[in-house]
Amino acid sequence: MECSFALTGKDYVLVAADTTSARSIIKMKVDEDKIKTLSPHLLMAYSGEPGDTVQFAEYIERNIRLYHIRNLYPLRPQSAASWIRRALAESLRSRQSYTVNLLVGGFDTADKTPHLYWIDYLGTMATVPFAAHGYGSYFASSLLDRYHNPDGTLEEGLDALRRAIDETAKRLVVSPGKYTVKVVDKDGVRVIDL
Amino acid sequence: MEAISHAGTVLGVLATDGVVLAAEKKVTGKLLDLSASKEGGYGGSGEKIFLLNSNVIGGVAGLTADANSLVNYARSAAQEHLLNYNEDIPVELLAQRLCDLKQGYTQYGGLRPFGVSLLYAGYDPHYQFQLYHSDPSGNYSGWKATCIGANNGTAQSLLKQEYKDDITVEDAIGLVMRTMSKTMDSTTLGSEKLEFATLTLDPVTKEPKAKIYRPSEVDVLLKKFDLAKKDEDAEMKTA
Amino acid sequence: MSRSYDRALTVFSPDGHLFQVEYALEAVRKGTCAVGVRGKDVVVLGVEKKSVLQLQDPRTVRKVVMLDDHVCLAFAGLTADGRVLIDKARVECQSHRLTVEDPVTVEYITRHIAGIQQRYTQSGGVRPFGISTLIVGFDPHDTQPRLYQTEPSGIYSAWKANAIGRSSKTVREFLEKNHKDDLTREESIKLTVKSLLEVVQTGAKNIEISVMESYGKVTNLDLPQIEAIVQEIEHEKEAEAERKRSRLAATAAGQAAMSSRATGTPGE
Repeated sequence: MECSFALTGKDYVLVAADTTSARSIIKMKVDEDKIKTLSPHLLMAYSGEPGDTVQFAEYIERNIRLYHIRNLYPLRPQSAASWIRRALAESLRSRQSYTVNLLVGGFDTADKTPHLYWIDYLGTMATVPFAAHGYGSYFASSLLDRYHNPDGTLEEGLDALRRAIDETAKRLVVSPGKYTVKVVDKDGVRVIDL
Repeated sequence: MEAISHAGTVLGVLATDGVVLAAEKKVTGKLLDLSASKEGGYGGSGEKIFLLNSNVIGGVAGLTADANSLVNYARSAAQEHLLNYNEDIPVELLAQRLCDLKQGYTQYGGLRPFGVSLLYAGYDPHYQFQLYHSDPSGNYSGWKATCIGANNGTAQSLLKQEYKDDITVEDAIGLVMRTMSKTMDSTTLGSEKLEFATLTLDPVTKEPKAKIYRPSEVDVLLKKFDLAKKDEDAEMKTA
Repeated sequence: MSRSYDRALTVFSPDGHLFQVEYALEAVRKGTCAVGVRGKDVVVLGVEKKSVLQLQDPRTVRKVVMLDDHVCLAFAGLTADGRVLIDKARVECQSHRLTVEDPVTVEYITRHIAGIQQRYTQSGGVRPFGISTLIVGFDPHDTQPRLYQTEPSGIYSAWKANAIGRSSKTVREFLEKNHKDDLTREESIKLTVKSLLEVVQTGAKNIEISVMESYGKVTNLDLPQIEAIVQEIEHEKEAEAERKRSRLAATAAGQAAMSSRATGTPGE
């Protein structure tokens, strides 16, 4: 089942999402990237109703890019997250709503700080030091509560993330096999091999 | 365009730590009720200088009625941005929004263009303090110091001579006052003829702080720069 | 009142002209000059930059803009119209990516822009856009540089090199004389600068150059770089003039010698 995790460190945000694409009880694909790079310093992990997820993520991606091209500077993470939340909240109140859960992580180049936002399909948004969506969150929340260090180095952050992923793999009946992990910091976005 | 060249002068100067706006009021008269601008509201008489958003003040020159509807539009646009992005609207984006509206009125038939030029003085984290000017055609550009309305040529050349890149708000206030006193038709300056505003950063919160001066505060400022109306009775007595 | 809005502003004159469209072209002719040159695997945009006034912020005076990662546009004419049209084009670039998952081709976005411009010559109650545009870029998965032009009437066309705006005729004639196929990067840039110098008397400080070398790779030359190219061109011109002078002197001397021989000694 879908799992995504994210956490902030001293000057970075780590975002991880599983790579399975499933329909009913069948795995259709095991190399799906569910983390979009919205702008040079902004990541978004998405999960939820298949179809809705990609459709919504692409809509967000194109609009954030349009803002960047129009104004020559990208939206700051806080503003981008607020806009994304609003898009979801407006969708919820329409005939056909998107069932998508998001983790938005970004590095604000203006004041050099990492930001992480937890957003669910009802349009709830919370600013958090670490976050998770899916069944993995039942294990990750407590583990990260114990092991997360908001001022930690990238290595410390990766260790905490590994604990969450390993515990999920160990305990969850339908745990996903593979994850993509991305980090965003002052230098932009990188993919990390766990 | 013609309407604007006769309108009351509006002058803006960008400093390193703030922006200064000043405007000449044309509507005056002994019987005009100015009590509203003395207390209540956010300062100013609401004729030339307006608070467009918490981070932007605007000065208008041209047809007053058109200006009022543009100010309304600007305020809505700023609030709409706040609603969507949970941040103060970037200054240039606000100028762009108004210019798109103004451009539309020049292109779509049946409607006449807005007869208004504006100065926008504002702050955002992207480019810090900024000063923009927009005209009725929908063009805009950024400035270090500029002037619209009557006598803007004279004011412009005065500014060109005296402006320095490292000017502070304090010096900018002086520069604005001196330039205004030279360009305004009347020989003496008084709060009934002048509107004045500054935009700076709050030293504690680091948030932009707009201050539109009340008439009494304008008079204090004028006295400080020795430009105030001389008390004629006093002069008579000494003579 | 509402009826007047329904009526077209652009109507045929008895001899078949659309005056509003021609007036729009007049606005373009008054605009600053822009030049586009296509080389072998590079495309260069050059614009005449009006001198920024002393107290003006140069950041806010933009003539060359990006529509997407791989498409660049320069315009001549009314700035406010330009901004509005550019905005429509930028939305279309992202919308196209969203619907077909591919970036636009340069021709597609040119056609789209020209389409908008055409619509404003025909629809009720609107005036045409007072701008011409030069659009350059690379198509996705392609190495061929592209250069297109659009006009207020909605005409669009592909070019090897072209100019719009003030004195564009002079510049175009210059380009026709001097453009060769398969120019290198340096040659393309030089030709662009050279052609702009035909109308820009004030030299490097009023010239802006953008170079696109491959999909999404755009560089804007800075002032010293442009100055260096202008200097190089001036040196070449001087050398050329020198050669001409010496050649003229040589022929004059030859002629003098001949005439002196002819008239010199009739008595002998």
